[in-house]
Amino acid sequence: MELFAKYLREGRIKIDPEKRIKERVTYQDPCNLSRSGDLAEYGREIISYLADDFVEMQPNREHNHCCGGGGGFIPMGPPFKRRRMESGKVKAEQIRATGATLVISPCHNCFDQIRDLSKEYDLGVKVKQFKELITETMIIPEEFQPKEEADE
Amino acid sequence: MGEPVNTEVIKERLDAAKSARMKMWLELCAHCGLCAESCFFYLAHDKDPTYMPSYKVIKTLGEMYKKKGKVSREFLEETLDIAWGKCTVCRRCSQFCPFGIDMALMISTARGICNTQGVVPEGLQKAVANYWAEGNQMAMTKEDWLETCTWMESETGEEIAGLKIPMDKEGANIMYTVNAREPMYYPQDIGMAATIFHIAGEDWTMSSEGWDDTNLAMFAGDTKCMTHVVKQTYDAAIRLKAKNIAITE
Repeated sequence: MELFAKYLREGRIKIDPEKRIKERVTYQDPCNLSRSGDLAEYGREIISYLADDFVEMQPNREHNHCCGGGGGFIPMGPPFKRRRMESGKVKAEQIRATGATLVISPCHNCFDQIRDLSKEYDLGVKVKQFKELITETMIIPEEFQPKEEADE
Repeated sequence: MGEPVNTEVIKERLDAAKSARMKMWLELCAHCGLCAESCFFYLAHDKDPTYMPSYKVIKTLGEMYKKKGKVSREFLEETLDIAWGKCTVCRRCSQFCPFGIDMALMISTARGICNTQGVVPEGLQKAVANYWAEGNQMAMTKEDWLETCTWMESETGEEIAGLKIPMDKEGANIMYTVNAREPMYYPQDIGMAATIFHIAGEDWTMSSEGWDDTNLAMFAGDTKCMTHVVKQTYDAAIRLKAKNIAITE
């Protein structure tokens, strides 16, 4: 994530202004990144390049709540699924309050948990990681365009 | 089930964990309750006091110390239910404790002690076996891993001219590691990362070994396996003379 922020800051990756995300987005702080890794600001920095309408969850950054899927909860599988959904209520309410339709989270655990929560609590949100959003919105310089197309 | 508990081993573990900090934490809790509302389990369960972080620590690790390790299997099963089923070791509570008691670390210690007696959620036990077998949580073979990378290289290469996924390249600036769920369920994630690295002009590589950056062994409380997992990655970076290790989202 630090690298992606650096590429954008240094202009090594450029975002197409036309492709910037228009829908409302919010950011899920992964515990390992924002609380234990002190990387919260990099997430905001990357979002500033990608999206027009960004709303923070409350609370956020190192005080954000765990998605409820961390610490091994998701790989613990079906025997713990019900509990995982029940205790995820706090995260579901945090997301709903933002009015966002897209949740960005640079963590596979949060990704799976929020996708499950969206179904459970009918949040109607999509979850995406930075990799996906950056590749969707970035400018592909001409030298990287596929040859076939260049020949047409 | 029903197997005897090796209380000697538990006692050894408790003694080893009894650092100056741990002693202080065990003494210091003033039961002020400030940690309660920091915990989403507590909030999601209508402020049921049995979900308070301090209560969860006292009922698990606290009891172990009080009983000097002489606990029953039933007790360890109850500890499992609390330490894994009512806590994600997210560390939020520690930020609200006026004494700075690291309750997540204490819960992790309780998990580690359960682990010595084979009391671990099945899903995590399986992941640990997978790390030992193939070096990653999904037990993906080296052959499948390399094939997935080659496949992503050719598929992504159709859209991005000149794209390569350099494997085991020596001296790269970045050795990129992934979550084993990516090659298994979301292989296109590898293609996306490759696209970004390629266009940014990064000097990067991936390793044929030690490429899984997850560590479920840590969450399982298995210190031996958790060290093994991290060591694999560092060994790969040293072998490839990589300057930095980057981990996926």
